[in-house]
Amino acid sequence: MIRFLLKGILRDRSRSLLPVIVVALGVFLTVFMSGWFQGIMGDMIDMNARFSSGHVKIMTRAYDENSGQAPLDLALLDVASLKKQLYVEYPDMEWVERIRSGGLLDVPDENGETRGQGPAMVTAIDLLSPESREVDRLNIPDAIVKGELPDQPGETLISDDFAEKFEVAIGDEVTLFGSTMNGSMMFYTFTVSGTIRFGNTLLDRGAIFIDIKDAQLAMDMEDGATEILGYFNNQPYIDEEAMALATSYNEKYSLEEDEFSPKMIRLAEAAGMADYLAIAENMVGMMVFIFIIAMSIVLWNTGLLGGLRRYSEFGVRLALGEEKKHIYRTTLWEAVLIGIIGSIVGTIFGLALSYRLQAHGVDFSGMMDNLGVMMPTVFRAVVTPSMYVVGFIPGVLATVMGSALAGFAIYKRKTAQLFNELEV
Amino acid sequence: MENSSIIRIEKLVKRFPVGRSEFTALNNVNLTIDRGEFLGLVGPSGSGKTTLLNIIGSLDTPSEGVVTVLDNSIASLSHKQSSKLRNRHIGFIFQTYNLLPVYTVYENVEFALLLQKLSSNARKKAVTDALEWVGLTDKIKSKPAMLSGGECQRVAIARSMVKRPEIVLADEPTANLDSKNSHHILQTMKSLNKELNTTFIFATHDEKVMQYLNRKVSLEDGQIVKDELMKNSKN
Repeated sequence: MIRFLLKGILRDRSRSLLPVIVVALGVFLTVFMSGWFQGIMGDMIDMNARFSSGHVKIMTRAYDENSGQAPLDLALLDVASLKKQLYVEYPDMEWVERIRSGGLLDVPDENGETRGQGPAMVTAIDLLSPESREVDRLNIPDAIVKGELPDQPGETLISDDFAEKFEVAIGDEVTLFGSTMNGSMMFYTFTVSGTIRFGNTLLDRGAIFIDIKDAQLAMDMEDGATEILGYFNNQPYIDEEAMALATSYNEKYSLEEDEFSPKMIRLAEAAGMADYLAIAENMVGMMVFIFIIAMSIVLWNTGLLGGLRRYSEFGVRLALGEEKKHIYRTTLWEAVLIGIIGSIVGTIFGLALSYRLQAHGVDFSGMMDNLGVMMPTVFRAVVTPSMYVVGFIPGVLATVMGSALAGFAIYKRKTAQLFNELEV
Repeated sequence: MENSSIIRIEKLVKRFPVGRSEFTALNNVNLTIDRGEFLGLVGPSGSGKTTLLNIIGSLDTPSEGVVTVLDNSIASLSHKQSSKLRNRHIGFIFQTYNLLPVYTVYENVEFALLLQKLSSNARKKAVTDALEWVGLTDKIKSKPAMLSGGECQRVAIARSMVKRPEIVLADEPTANLDSKNSHHILQTMKSLNKELNTTFIFATHDEKVMQYLNRKVSLEDGQIVKDELMKNSKN
């Protein structure tokens, strides 16, 4: 009987081709959108992790509460010993210190007088140590527009937008105005070794990257940092692991009564990231649900049309002694078969496009000039194991639901009434 | 084979709801049909022929009275039992053939056996035999669209006969055929009737069919008005 039904499906294109196309299209969109969305969200989370929050971040409790103001006076001290301790207790992580601060960048003319000034967002990282992975982590080489990476103390990278606006050339000197950790005025002159553009307003607006040692010297922060970021070695962010890590660390070292005691927060707790992560987790489920409903409605109609065409077949089968519930059941099995075939086709195409976009991505930088959210400008898909199966849920479920709704009349009617209606 | 009665109909009434009232399609019908009969239910449209055929075929149930087919009381059969009765013991032939268009002649005939869960070899032999009876062994791979009306009806006969039912119910089987094909079909059914002692019951108002009947039961307004044996039937 199964072979008989299979032959019918394969030979009767109106019974199989349209539903297979509908299912394949829906599954293709589910798989592709799932991969693309996960890719974008993953890249966005990854970008935030690399630039701002790490997978986990350690600050003083007081700094955490006022982190929006980047208060240097609440920064961590004894960073070297803190890091040493972290490497002992959590050897599978990479720990890096950073200093974030606001300031004013002054561009002097040939007489040393101010030619231009603009607000600066200072990010101090380990630019010069040979073993440092920070430069690659922030993808700085690719962001350099002019010049090159600093290779000695006192050199800086500044925003290309800033450099263009104030006509700063490579090799020019700029002075950073700000405050030290102790609250006194800070003036420190750097030589511009290069200009950078990340393609993101949040990162590019007044960005200035300096070596952490220079920052510590300029800001009177010997062995200090505003934050220590932790990264899982060679693996993406996993919230459960980060939560376990943060909980164990805070239980041990974070003291309610000491506002300068360190506190570890995970990426999900960093500003807005919890919402992004929740969206990332729920979006695939929402898409699957939407496609199930949309495809079910289309396939319901397809099933109704197919059912009308097959009325005399059902009548003959009743007359030949097939039970109506068996007829109904076989239509559902046909639906499962069509759903599986359509899902396989859709998954193949969805994965193919996802692999392509995983490798190449689509550059939306032209449309994101004024974007105020930290997200990548090249949107890439990511292929995950779940994508091999996720399409089968809407694919099979929608065809079965569509057929079940369309064939319900067969199941509910009295045999005699049905036989008369079936125009045999 | 013994010519005992295989269908007994006593005081059969069949009513259909029409809006808030009821329409009586069959009224106090009494009829006994023996094994091997070649019987026609004749009468104008709306006389109740098809309704009676559907009840005998266990596709419908009586409103009143008793209909016994092969010792099964139609009114008391469950869905499963009535399906089984049709599957094992009753064949249907329709006016419009109702062959499944995407299947070959062989597959159309074989379909009736798939529900019986016979082995592939047993099915093959039964289908070949049935197609031999109707003279269509050279068309086994053809699809219905490639056949003439007469050939389609012969496939339908093979489909109804392949499971060797005791009873074949034919509703206007010649209505869509020309005279030559009608006679050919009727001769085929008549020979199967004789050879296998299968009971054929027709619902018809076609004069050509009446020439072959052994017995003619005339219906008018849901009642039997005449029941006559045909002594001068063909073959």
